[in-house]
Amino acid sequence: MTTATVTGRPAPRRHNLGLLAHQVRYEQLSFWRNPQSAIFTFVFPVVFVIIIGALFGGVTKSSYFGGLSALQYYVPTIAVLSVLGSCYGQLAVALAARRQNGILKRVRATPLPAWAYFGGLLAHCMLVSVIDIALIVGVGRLYGVPFPSHWLAIAATLMLGAVSFCALGVAVASVISNAEAAPAVAQLVLFPLLFVSGTYMPIHSALLNRISGWLPVRPFNEALTGPFARHAGADWRHLAVLAVWGGAGAVVAVRRFRWEPGAG
Amino acid sequence: MRAQLSDDAALAVAGLRKSYGRVQAVRDVSFTVRRGEIVALLGPNGAGKTTTLEILEGFRARDGGMAHVLGRDPGQQSSLRELRERTGLVLQDIAVEPYLTVRETIARQAGYYPAPRGVAEVIGQVGLAGLERRKVRALSGGQKRRLDLALGLIGDPELLYLDEPTTGFDPAARRDAWDLVRHLRASGTTVLLTTHDMEEAQALADRVVLLSGGAVVAAGPPGTLGGRDAERARITFTLPDGYTTADLPLPAAALPPQAAGTGAVAVETDSPTQALYQLTDWALQNGTVLAGLTVDRPSLEDIYLELTSQGAPDGAREEATR
Repeated sequence: MTTATVTGRPAPRRHNLGLLAHQVRYEQLSFWRNPQSAIFTFVFPVVFVIIIGALFGGVTKSSYFGGLSALQYYVPTIAVLSVLGSCYGQLAVALAARRQNGILKRVRATPLPAWAYFGGLLAHCMLVSVIDIALIVGVGRLYGVPFPSHWLAIAATLMLGAVSFCALGVAVASVISNAEAAPAVAQLVLFPLLFVSGTYMPIHSALLNRISGWLPVRPFNEALTGPFARHAGADWRHLAVLAVWGGAGAVVAVRRFRWEPGAG
Repeated sequence: MRAQLSDDAALAVAGLRKSYGRVQAVRDVSFTVRRGEIVALLGPNGAGKTTTLEILEGFRARDGGMAHVLGRDPGQQSSLRELRERTGLVLQDIAVEPYLTVRETIARQAGYYPAPRGVAEVIGQVGLAGLERRKVRALSGGQKRRLDLALGLIGDPELLYLDEPTTGFDPAARRDAWDLVRHLRASGTTVLLTTHDMEEAQALADRVVLLSGGAVVAAGPPGTLGGRDAERARITFTLPDGYTTADLPLPAAALPPQAAGTGAVAVETDSPTQALYQLTDWALQNGTVLAGLTVDRPSLEDIYLELTSQGAPDGAREEATR
């Protein structure tokens, strides 16, 4: 019986969904086991909302915030910020680190297909984003921001945003070669983008808004602020821009992603 | 292509070539590993062992030649998932996620295979029993290496690749790992390992493929490698005071002082019984003794150094003494 199993294995492969669930489960486990990263991920946006609430809690609807109250403006942008943090920033840094210390090569040494590995990461990032957003909306409610009513549009927007920024995160991880540089590069790209996209303060320059409208962050902000605060439906134009960025990220990721550490 | 392989070959390469830029890492390497056999790729650093292994594992594309693993071509992406399901890989560098426990790490990997072994069984086999709930980051280097071994075994592979498996092990752990590999062979697993440790090759391998400078310089069972069994025996002793090699009944050569102490000489012979008789007879006739008298054949190390110094560029030779 021992040496006779020459060709083909009788045992069937695990179902794809089962494999994906298995992978998500262990991504979650790794994530929660690293308390620093987990706490930072969830505390950061909450603290941010609290600070904004303390600073602008009394600011009611104003033209400066585009006809919204300060917190109505900031709750969706901070929600976007937290999605960017987990889907783009943490993903890029984690992938670069896993590649550098050989963990990705190990994954490649198993039969786990690449789609399942990345599917697991994507699902994990989305789960984290959902928890983040629930916390942000909850804290916002304490400052009198009403719960949004267009959940379907919000869910669709978040889903597209999360997928697109995950793709961009993998793309950035593909382009940078060493893990020490990863956080700096990821932040360097993101920080100015956040500023011009109105994440930290409303931008009243028509030119800047036109430019940032073609970059990935502002369309995400706008697409989420609509159903969050303005009771509008899905914002197709902004979603399309976001999707194009996600697609571009995916192309770079698929073409350039490497599993093995090494120069260049 | 498959037809030319004999049925009992688990793995075969022929005329394998791979260059990195202008460096020819592997040039015309051919060997076969039969099912149930342990074969060691032995050689100094830079000899092409890991490159050869990585081509077989499907990590690197070859520039030329044939490679067959369990009847499939490891260079084809479409073969890779099935090959991964049927082979186990223990890579050279230790890399495991730090925050999971030993059991979780192995259970996660078990979920990737269609018919894995039992997690507890494998933990016991690699000697990690009692550490199931320990976080990987709290393991010692040797324990992490055992975990690596467990990850290579969990899929119940037909063929196991071990890239320098016992580097960093203490002598007891190394012996345990060797026992485990022998146990695997007894249950029908084929093993291809790389090592630069001759003792390991000698202790484990049914056959050794000696690589140097990217080429095979010798292949065969460790006991006969490089014609070792047919080599002349060497009798060494210290020349008694007041005599020269010319006084001896047989031609003898002085050994370099660092090799065997001052005044030591060696006689190489095809018939050690007779030579020894002549020498000891001569000593008794002259009322003297042959201090430090030994008879030996070239060790695997002698053969290794002799063969790898011929084929290898100087740089590779230097590294070999690491």
